[in-house]
Amino acid sequence: MNQQEILDALAGLALFSDLDRPQLQAVAHTMSEESFPSGQRILRQGFSGSGFFVILEGEVGVRVDDADVARLGKGDFFGEISLLLGESPIADVVAATPVTALQLAGPDLREFLLAYPVVMYRMLQSVSRRLDRANRRS
Amino acid sequence: MSLTTQEKRAWLEKVPLFRDCSSEVLDQLADATAEFEFTADSPIVQQGQVGNGLYIIVAGGARIVAGSDELARFGPGDFFGELSVIDQQPRAASAYAVGDTACLALASWDLVAVLERDSRLAMNLLKELAGRLRDTDAQLRH
Repeated sequence: MNQQEILDALAGLALFSDLDRPQLQAVAHTMSEESFPSGQRILRQGFSGSGFFVILEGEVGVRVDDADVARLGKGDFFGEISLLLGESPIADVVAATPVTALQLAGPDLREFLLAYPVVMYRMLQSVSRRLDRANRRS
Repeated sequence: MSLTTQEKRAWLEKVPLFRDCSSEVLDQLADATAEFEFTADSPIVQQGQVGNGLYIIVAGGARIVAGSDELARFGPGDFFGELSVIDQQPRAASAYAVGDTACLALASWDLVAVLERDSRLAMNLLKELAGRLRDTDAQLRH
């Protein structure tokens, strides 16, 4: 993807929907574009050294203890829970198709969210919804 | 128990969720929170209702219950009720007082206002919810 395509893709994602164009440009600049072939493991359960990923294209499978628990697609993100807690990932994340994603290095997530409170609020909403759904399942 | 604004502020300052808040935000919280008391086993919030605020336990405790399952138990300094404020869905669970209980309640719009004003508070809340999500996921796998 060229810079313009990345910007257009970012502008369409709920996580970044409250940012203006210059802020989106700054985000595109801060995060690095990564491509993963189908089948590649992006995060490994129990292993440290991870990052925060936002999917631009393609789909990933989330696996916990070798059981599929979720499938994520364009606009979804992963890796934030373990980074926020300072722990290793609680799930494997594997590319289910070819995937293009933006990655933020793990240690940068905190400063990134403090720099963009509206993105943090969107993330807070996402985590709340997941917790809410988990409560309704039990 | 009837706390003055100053007493509420002194108490809120010790709550882990608010530990990084500026003096101005603590003043705002002390002004905005109202004290409520609940007799043992009475409902504090009820499943299915639209959330109107966040509750911080001052004394006593709360059992969080969905259907017939107890999801969590909270004590002084803990908070609950934030989910339906943030995701704007009806409450997924009820909370009942464990013994006679006193809470400080922060209305939805005041919570959203302080979260917008203080990104460190939003970060602390995000971390706490991430931890609860991890614990829930771990529970579901067992």
